[in-house]
Amino acid sequence: MPTAPLPHLARGVDHAAFPTLDPAGTIRFYRDVLGFPVVHSICAAGWGPEKHPDFVHFFFDIGNDDRIAFFHYFGFEPPMVSARGDAFARFNDEMPSFYIASRHLAIHVESAEHLNEYQHRLDLSDWPTELRVQHETIESIYTHDPNGYLLEITRALRPVTPQEDHDAALSVQALLDIADAGDLTLDALLRRKAELIVAHAEDRDPLPTPERVR
Amino acid sequence: MPTVYVLDVPENRPVVEVASRDDRVAVRAVGPYTRLSSSAPIVIDRRETGCRHAVWYSCLAGLAAGRVVQWDKNALRVEAS
Repeated sequence: MPTAPLPHLARGVDHAAFPTLDPAGTIRFYRDVLGFPVVHSICAAGWGPEKHPDFVHFFFDIGNDDRIAFFHYFGFEPPMVSARGDAFARFNDEMPSFYIASRHLAIHVESAEHLNEYQHRLDLSDWPTELRVQHETIESIYTHDPNGYLLEITRALRPVTPQEDHDAALSVQALLDIADAGDLTLDALLRRKAELIVAHAEDRDPLPTPERVR
Repeated sequence: MPTVYVLDVPENRPVVEVASRDDRVAVRAVGPYTRLSSSAPIVIDRRETGCRHAVWYSCLAGLAAGRVVQWDKNALRVEAS
């Protein structure tokens, strides 16, 4: 366990990038349905030893100056093993859906009203809201974009409390401990956490968590 | 004596409230957690808590001297191990 917090120097998402085989659908979805501004693009001729195709790389603002970006490689058709999955990864029937759906981008909005607005925009489009759900402390809507990427838009139901930060630190330490012990089960996690809960019960600032930046 | 720990956040309070209706369940604060321990199995009816599924299935923070023998849409049951 680290003894002193490491300076937390990262400042959020610059951009998250994905390939697209459907640039038209992608532009309609992000620019026209969701209304995300186009903020940057690179149009480049392919070069280099690997026969890199010509490509266009384009960026949409997702708020806070963070961006989602796409690559379209002209003329490139990736080998795909099935229709399951998305434009980046395809899976056979043995891969369960929970695993395919685990990788996703979640975009934050400030209020229920703003979440409703995005649900409304999606429901008027070719990519309607597939699910709206209240999780533990957030409420989210989901759809798949034209590339098959799972997109979540989410709002906080309430602010995160200090005891939840404490709990997260204990959970992660417990996970590290059971992984090191070769016993990766929920049961083992809860048992190890119980030990850490008792050990740190009296601490005011028990586990080192990195400096929080707001 | 089966013992569970529940983080003290608003969503989890009905879990503690329902569990503590059983007189055998002892309730004590341990740091930011509530410790529930009992001489008998700890049984919590989900519908009585009114918890939505996401809250229900993440309400346990820790487990000592017990094992989860049921944790489904109906109930959570923890027995001595």
